[in-house]
Amino acid sequence: MSQITSLFPKDWRNLHFTLIVFFSLLLVIGVPGINQIASRAIVNTLYYPFFRLKYLMVQVGTTSAENSLLTQKLVEANAKISVLEEASRENERLRSILGFDPPAGYSLLPAKVISVSYGGHRPVAAVINKGARDSVAIDEAVINQQGLIGRIKEVMIEYSVVQLLTDPANRVAARISETREMGIVKYQSGKGLMLDNFPVQGTIQEGDLIVSSGLGGVYVAGLLVGNVQSVVRQPDEPFCEITLRPAASFSSVEEVFVLRSVTQ
Amino acid sequence: MIRVLPYLLYLLLIAMHEVIWRDLTALYFVALNLPAMIVVIVAIYKSESTVAWFGFLAGLVLAATRPETMGWHALFLAALGVGVHHIREKLNLESIYSKLLLIVGAVLVHNIISVLINGTDRFFYLLWVYCLPSAAYTTVAAWVFFLFKEGKITSQKLKSVF
Repeated sequence: MSQITSLFPKDWRNLHFTLIVFFSLLLVIGVPGINQIASRAIVNTLYYPFFRLKYLMVQVGTTSAENSLLTQKLVEANAKISVLEEASRENERLRSILGFDPPAGYSLLPAKVISVSYGGHRPVAAVINKGARDSVAIDEAVINQQGLIGRIKEVMIEYSVVQLLTDPANRVAARISETREMGIVKYQSGKGLMLDNFPVQGTIQEGDLIVSSGLGGVYVAGLLVGNVQSVVRQPDEPFCEITLRPAASFSSVEEVFVLRSVTQ
Repeated sequence: MIRVLPYLLYLLLIAMHEVIWRDLTALYFVALNLPAMIVVIVAIYKSESTVAWFGFLAGLVLAATRPETMGWHALFLAALGVGVHHIREKLNLESIYSKLLLIVGAVLVHNIISVLINGTDRFFYLLWVYCLPSAAYTTVAAWVFFLFKEGKITSQKLKSVF
């Protein structure tokens, strides 16, 4: 019962109670404006700092929630941009395909590459989403707008396996577009795509276009295989060592066409 | 002036509770009745006039955001404080549990009167879901306060536990 007890003299007890009841009744009966004045005074002095503090707390919480939401939206937007960029690239590819006509007497069956098999570091086979149900047959040529890709090696009901030109077991009878001289295109490990069996006396130079010759019955004549990258003539060798630059990019192949005879 | 300072701090504490702590410390909408608890504690330890004025001011602060009920809250908290003070003098409470009994009764009465002052047509529902749980919750808080105040819990004892 300490020091505070002496805040008020004891004989003033009734005065205190009277004042308290009087002020309370003033507020209860609502003497015009007094409640508002008292309320405003208390709110402005005692409540205001805590209103500010609570406002800051709410703002920090809101900012944090907003930050999470914006981060989520940013991730979604980035994903959408990524999808749109992919669609844009696909659009460009498809636009370039639009102006691509098949050789006379042949039609194109569009297909999508759904899987690529690698032999070492290079792709050697690809699975496309067209098969026996679409009348795909073994040994049909597969091309894209860039050039020759390979041939159908295996056919399943809904899928087919394409043997790419980069498979060392694949051979293409080819000729030089300008001079019509012939050779065999094959892939050699460590050397790349080569034009084999081309005599040293033959006329060939860097940049010459190499197309399929149509001999052998698998590939239609005139399909672009690539161009000459380098020619090496060894004095005591009967054939040149010719390296080719493939027309098609095998590592990024996506949309292809199965080349089919119209008679089919 | 310096003797008035603790009461000003109590009033600040009540304002802070009403603005910030009330929602943060509420358990399933059952809030701590800190204003009533402080008034009762002041009534237990301080003089009749002091608690009457403090109760009056605490009522004003408590209802500052609802000016139309300020008078009732001020009058009732002052009366509650004086009433508790008289009970405390007559019973000469010494143990923590008798003080807690006084607190639970006073807080329950304050909760009931507050519900009536604020006006409701679901009085008995609020009595069960708010008045009684809030009185119990406030009593638990007061129990912890008394444990600290009477030295049953000290920082050294806490350290020895952990």
